[in-house]
Amino acid sequence: MFVGRRMKRDLVTVAPGASLEEAARLLKAHRIHHLPVAEEGNRLAGIVSDTDLRNATLGGTFGGSDRGDSGRPVAVGEIMTRDVVTLSPGDTLDDAMLALSRERIGALPVVEGERLVGIVTKADILSALLSTLDIGGLGVRIEVVLPRDVKEVARLVGVLGDLQVEVRSLVLAPHGGDGYAVFVRVTTIDVGSLKERLREAGFRVPEVAEFLE
Amino acid sequence: MAVDATGVGGFGDPLPESDIVDGFDRLIVSNRLFGADLNPTVIKKSGKGAPFLVRPHPSHNRMLALWRDLFANRALPQEFLDALAPEVLGLTHADGLLLFGNDRVLYDCRIVRGEESVGHLTLCFYRKREPVFRFLPFPRRPGRRIVYIEGISLTAQSTGYASSLFRRYERLFHDLGFHRFRLKASLSVGKYYWAKEGFDFEDRKQFAEMRENLHALVRRLGLPVEEQEIRRLNHASTVAAFRRDLVIPVYRNAEGYYAAARDATHTEEVRFPLGKAFLLCSAPWDGFKVIYTDTPRRTGFVWSERFLDHGTRLGHVESPRRLEALLAAIRGGGMRESLIFLEPYVPTMPSLHAVHDPAYLERFRGAVARGDRQFAVRDCSISEGSYEAALLAAGGVMAGIDAVFSDRADNAFCAVRPPGHHAGRAEAMGFCFVNNVATGARYARSAYGIERIYILDWDVHHGNGTQALFDEDPLTFYCSLHEHPSFCYPGTGRRFEKGVGAGRGATLNIPLAPHAGDREMIGAFEREVVPSIVAFRPELILLSAGFDAHRDDPIAELECTEDAFVHMTRRVLELADRHCQGRVVSVLEGGYRMESLVSSAIAHIRTLQGKEVPPCSSAGG
Repeated sequence: MFVGRRMKRDLVTVAPGASLEEAARLLKAHRIHHLPVAEEGNRLAGIVSDTDLRNATLGGTFGGSDRGDSGRPVAVGEIMTRDVVTLSPGDTLDDAMLALSRERIGALPVVEGERLVGIVTKADILSALLSTLDIGGLGVRIEVVLPRDVKEVARLVGVLGDLQVEVRSLVLAPHGGDGYAVFVRVTTIDVGSLKERLREAGFRVPEVAEFLE
Repeated sequence: MAVDATGVGGFGDPLPESDIVDGFDRLIVSNRLFGADLNPTVIKKSGKGAPFLVRPHPSHNRMLALWRDLFANRALPQEFLDALAPEVLGLTHADGLLLFGNDRVLYDCRIVRGEESVGHLTLCFYRKREPVFRFLPFPRRPGRRIVYIEGISLTAQSTGYASSLFRRYERLFHDLGFHRFRLKASLSVGKYYWAKEGFDFEDRKQFAEMRENLHALVRRLGLPVEEQEIRRLNHASTVAAFRRDLVIPVYRNAEGYYAAARDATHTEEVRFPLGKAFLLCSAPWDGFKVIYTDTPRRTGFVWSERFLDHGTRLGHVESPRRLEALLAAIRGGGMRESLIFLEPYVPTMPSLHAVHDPAYLERFRGAVARGDRQFAVRDCSISEGSYEAALLAAGGVMAGIDAVFSDRADNAFCAVRPPGHHAGRAEAMGFCFVNNVATGARYARSAYGIERIYILDWDVHHGNGTQALFDEDPLTFYCSLHEHPSFCYPGTGRRFEKGVGAGRGATLNIPLAPHAGDREMIGAFEREVVPSIVAFRPELILLSAGFDAHRDDPIAELECTEDAFVHMTRRVLELADRHCQGRVVSVLEGGYRMESLVSSAIAHIRTLQGKEVPPCSSAGG
């Protein structure tokens, strides 16, 4: 839930004075897309992404060369984004998701005061989502459509309990104007029988075909 | 698909009974037809062969009734006698007699080279009566037609005469509608010879004892033979050919009988290969050989009653009834005689540990021994017979592989349960405990030295267990066609799962959208599976053949029919012919609606036999 628990702590950073070549090498070697730029004492100075590097070298700021007007090599500090959107470890994953989505960026450095302590990327958010919904885990998802009544949700969970179904995850989402769609991930192979039992108990379990239309 | 029956006599439609009665009369006039009493206490005609008394022939009506029952009036008496006496390797029959007993017909003759008598042959044709109800002796219905080899003797061991003659006879008797040869192997060489000729033990208990005796002999002599080599023997012919590289001494007596140990009469030491020596010293045994109805390919069928011992809770879809229904259909559908029945064996621990964590198997054994009703997850319902059955199912695949590599069969279908493809190194799930196909693959590699194995899994569910076991193995290709994991258990088998590390590229997952049918299945199979088999050039193809992608199966949402299974089976056989001498071992996985499971499995097995299977009537609707 909190950024501090999900962020990546073993950071790859670059100094402001490093060359673009060095930055590109780091990105490639670690298969990452963002490099926080850290000054002495791990103070966050900015962030540089693979897009920044590409723009800087390909007909961008410096006319297609990684050498500046003066002919000396361009440093990371000259092309980095200084106005960085950051999080603190106490922020939540919701904050992270909203920030990533609204700012249309790929990574959020996490700072305590000015000190860089971690980073949260889109990939981290995705894997958090996957593990919350248990999508990668073994099991199968079934959908149940309920009237918008929490008592019905309780009844559904009760029936699943009576059937001794092992539930891996359960998501309740608004459905239409007056209903809930419930996505239950269960571990049984015999989904056919389970759906049958649920229908017998009066629940609406749509066929997959209904979603395909 | 008419079978060419012209090999020997061209027996076809029933002939008019008046012609047959005429034929009887002609033989009576020429003194070649009599009655006979089987009477073990009285005489042995000419010293050898069957003990019987020649009597006047019974009434024409009785003879006709027997002729009808045994030969379906497909041959005239003289024609039949001629067909029984072909010239083989310069030898012919003389004084061939047809003898009518109470419920059987005998054929008795001398074997001659020109004028010289070199041997004697007596055959007996009868029909076994089988009880209608197993627990009542009566009523009985006419059962299998049997040719009993009462005796064949040759003064000099004429090289290959009996083998050649019986090979011809097999065709002849098949055309006449006979099901089995039977005999008693009691002569010294006969005990080995008949086994080598493909006769098996009638009494499976006796065979199990023989295996025990062989085990004891091996231990007594301290021979370097592994236990599993003996366990997997499942046919007398495999005993006869057993460990030709190990030669041991046996002791012959004056009459030419052998014993494993020297005693007062068995004094002459002779050395033979282990299997041969063992059979020469064995007790007499009743043998049989199935006269197979001709199928273009010989298909083995692995099955044991013990698979039914894995009981599941009431209402559980993976119930013993699945296999009972399949077996009933095979028995009822007249397929029994066209399949080579193979017995599974319990694998030794090393074979299982090649796939499963020893501690996991121990937990499973413990849970069953404690009387638990489920293991690991609720899906995996168990009973007291589950552990044995699960091990035996893996051993069933091994037996199928043995049959294919020892050329007892061209391909094999293993009607096993519990299924296996979800079982991982230390996980039971989705009705699976031991990964049968994976155990088979590892075994084929260690026992027969092959490298490249292609596993095709068309069960509707992704075989996550099998995939994980061979993830990093570039020489075991795992390919699965299944309903898309977002809609179907177990949620793995996405297209981008292509193997790990060195095994990258040796996994191919083809998810199909819900409600996909034959067209999509066959399309994906042709587009992706076929080229991947061709590119991989396997030395063995294993099928995880579940039939739950059928439209009538309640467990998932694909809508295939028998046609898709038939098509894929046929194509796999073609590719196997091209790359691995037709070696395909198919292993039952899922399939939970009795009707569609049975019809799909039967269509699949018939296709494995190389038969044409008509398009499914419900397809295309």
